Amino acid sequence: MPDLIKKIPLEIKKNKIKTSIFLGLFAYWGLIIVGTFVQFQ
Amino acid sequence: MEVFLPIAEVSVNIIAIFSLSGIVGILSGLFGVGGGFLMTPFLIFLGVPPTYAVANEANNILATSVSGSTTHYLKNTLDYKMGMMIVVGGAIGTLIGIYTFTYFKGIGKIDVVISLAYMYILAIIGTAMLVEGLGEIDKARKKIFVKKKLHVHYWIHGLPLRMRFQKSKLYESAFTPIIIGLFVGFIAAIMGIGGAFILVPAMIYIIGMPTKLIPGTSLFVTIFVSIIVTFLHSINYGSIDLILVAMLVAGSIIGVQCGQKIGESVDSTGLKTLLAILLLLVGIAIAYDSFFAEEIIRETTKVDTKNLNSFSQFIKRLSNEVPFLYSLFSIIFAVSLGIAGAFIRRFFSNLRKKYFPKKN
Repeated sequence: MPDLIKKIPLEIKKNKIKTSIFLGLFAYWGLIIVGTFVQFQ
Repeated sequence: MEVFLPIAEVSVNIIAIFSLSGIVGILSGLFGVGGGFLMTPFLIFLGVPPTYAVANEANNILATSVSGSTTHYLKNTLDYKMGMMIVVGGAIGTLIGIYTFTYFKGIGKIDVVISLAYMYILAIIGTAMLVEGLGEIDKARKKIFVKKKLHVHYWIHGLPLRMRFQKSKLYESAFTPIIIGLFVGFIAAIMGIGGAFILVPAMIYIIGMPTKLIPGTSLFVTIFVSIIVTFLHSINYGSIDLILVAMLVAGSIIGVQCGQKIGESVDSTGLKTLLAILLLLVGIAIAYDSFFAEEIIRETTKVDTKNLNSFSQFIKRLSNEVPFLYSLFSIIFAVSLGIAGAFIRRFFSNLRKKYFPKKN
């Protein structure tokens, strides 16, 4: 597990495009799920 | 160039509707999916109320499905038996969907439900397509070829009432296509889409149909599901507007035929990723519209029937006084345009083969 955590910055540097797509999708899903909860309150 | 829709009681730009339906038709013809769940949000963005957008888009999908299905019928790439079993499920699913639609309409939440449904469906489809598309591009670049297992057996494959499907060379339970049809019909009734994005993967991975029979059979099923959705929306809510349908159908039939033609000569892997990004962007636009944009109370100018032109008056009277005949007419109208579109394409294709034969 510590090895995996150490490898993360290297992986992010190697795959900037994939990381940004992943973060973009994460933000998108977060937005719509939070928005749905707010909408129904 | 604005035109007033007598049933939806809004004004829309003809060129915007025609061009958008054409572009969405091209995408739909190219990828086989994406027509319904792109066009309905676009109609909502253009100011058509969601309940009218759903119903009229279902009528539009009927025309494009008939057009595509006729082409497949002429090529004999349809499994009618499998298609009819899915339609049985689709009919039940549509009835449940219309009942659910009526319930949400009754409590005044239907617009929210439609917006949320589109947001989540676009998010799921867009994410899945983006991940798949990027994966394919990655594997092609690294020259990795992975043999996928086509048939994986789930609980659904153990169901009773097995029957032979000669065309697809399958022997499986009738409940499998019926249950798939149930989901498709339900979603089609709520969202006004064809359901191909559920049907096509289900046919490949769950039913295990041969690939060449899938597009035609999927379109065949969509015809019947769209007929039921259009009929029930027209009878229950009087929401079919023939003027809007005519504009949508004209653009999308031309677009679908062009898209199918382009699809025959273009490698669509990279384009699939772009379509995924487009779906996600449309989902973001719906999310912004639903959660952040201030509610814009659109002033609907109540036009007195006497001020409408004679054709609009005729349509409005027909819709109010004889809804059953009106819905039948809108269905026949869509089906006729769809068949005409397929035969026109075939005519031009034969003409091209005769005068511009492909050099071997």
